[in-house]
Amino acid sequence: MNDEKCQENLNIKKNASIEFILEQGLQKPQTARSQISKMLKTLGFRYIFWDTFYSLFFTAITVACVLLVFAVVPESLRFSACVAVAPLLFLCITAFTETAQRVCGLYELKQTCLFTLRQITALRVVCYSVIGAVFTAVIAASGAKSVYEFAAMFPLCLFSLFACAALSLTVMRFKKSKWNLMAYSVLWVFISVALPFSQNELWESFLARIPIAVSSAAALIGFALFAFQISKMLVRQPAQEVNKYAHAQ
Amino acid sequence: MLMLNNVTKKYGSFTALEDINLEFKGGVYALLAPNGAGKTTLIKMLTTLIFPTGGEILWNGDEIVRLDAAYRGIIGYLPQDFGYYKNHSPRDFLLYLSAVKCIDRNTAKRKTEQLLELVGLSDVQGKKMKKFSGGMIQRVGIAQAMLNDPKILILDEPTAGLDPKERVRFRNLISSLSKDRIVILSTHIVSDIETIASRVIMFKDHKLFANDEPAALCASLAGKVYETDDITAIPAPYLALTERQDGGKTIMRFASEQDCGSIAQSVSPNLEDVFLYVYRDERE
Repeated sequence: MNDEKCQENLNIKKNASIEFILEQGLQKPQTARSQISKMLKTLGFRYIFWDTFYSLFFTAITVACVLLVFAVVPESLRFSACVAVAPLLFLCITAFTETAQRVCGLYELKQTCLFTLRQITALRVVCYSVIGAVFTAVIAASGAKSVYEFAAMFPLCLFSLFACAALSLTVMRFKKSKWNLMAYSVLWVFISVALPFSQNELWESFLARIPIAVSSAAALIGFALFAFQISKMLVRQPAQEVNKYAHAQ
Repeated sequence: MLMLNNVTKKYGSFTALEDINLEFKGGVYALLAPNGAGKTTLIKMLTTLIFPTGGEILWNGDEIVRLDAAYRGIIGYLPQDFGYYKNHSPRDFLLYLSAVKCIDRNTAKRKTEQLLELVGLSDVQGKKMKKFSGGMIQRVGIAQAMLNDPKILILDEPTAGLDPKERVRFRNLISSLSKDRIVILSTHIVSDIETIASRVIMFKDHKLFANDEPAALCASLAGKVYETDDITAIPAPYLALTERQDGGKTIMRFASEQDCGSIAQSVSPNLEDVFLYVYRDERE
């Protein structure tokens, strides 16, 4: 008799637990990867890069001009030049596109859609970083004199790219002003150019002497930081971050 | 049900809204207040563009911050300054926003056609929007807000800049859309809401001042509104509301706390009288 009562109580508790779980909903926590896949499937590249033509055009012009200067950089500064130029494509494309998006009148509207502008921006940045990595490889290949030098230069360039990208995303996440990203990009370019000039050849020799293992580890850390920032932008957005991302007041 | 519990929004030391308690169940809710009173701040909180400094906003008992994308999926929003792509057609624009709202392509195509028909833009659906009038753009705006068949439709000053004919058309459209959803409409144009609002919400000094049916708000001024063609004969302190010309005479409409029935004609108050009376200190 007692056993029956215990069993009955147990069943009641089990049912209550099942009801509770059903009420809460059985949902897998959203990951950055699942969000990227969902967005790619729904939006497609056409809508991810919708209305970014002018930004891409200005990026192409800027990068072409910088590459002309890069071609005449003395050989004694090739490490510094490659590290400075590596994130340039990413920086220009991100700054032009995202500043244009923030200035656009549709900013608020897009921020209230199921896929927010913040998430679409993050997805675009992922695409830009892939293009940026290819560009970085080309820059390192054109600057290096040997395979060994390429192996030393490429991770440094990648570190430069991912560190720049991670910082760009931090600026996007926490600064709501429309022009902050542009200001940050200008500052990054200024520091990249000023370093080799202000330190004469000290900066160049410092970069050239960094062991491949160290620069590879730095590139990996840079990538990890970048991936962390991307995942923060893609998944749930905490209220305080939205307050900082949305310039609406 | 959408519910605001003790919602406060501060920007540094400036309090934009203080201790707001509201419930939205269904129908048209009009936020009526002068510019700068906090209407847009409230709208932006309801659309998750900004979040309250204090208090909470709940949708069916869940905080909208926690609901995140699930909440954004049930709202439709038309901002005050509705940006649009001038070089795209309304059809392309709606298809783009459908994708951003995570609506599958087939549904998006069907919904776009339906909505363009509803707002009367079917015949220009392939034309570039740069040639559209203000009213046509606003109708595109309403259509995009309706794409996801929202349970909450939020419109911030939707009739600003429209001519009277467009405003009437817009009011009728909003009225027809409010049958099975919450429509929150922010405006400072009284005539926009007089006929369609089921409730009028007014803010004063950044606090909730009134939340009632239009008729009840008008009734609160009953016996205090008069008309006269000789305002100099009115001795008591009064508040001039509006004036009009009639048969060569200037008819002044005014509100007074004292009984002026013997020297002026008592008239039924309307929502415009209530607005002018409530915000009398902010008129200059």
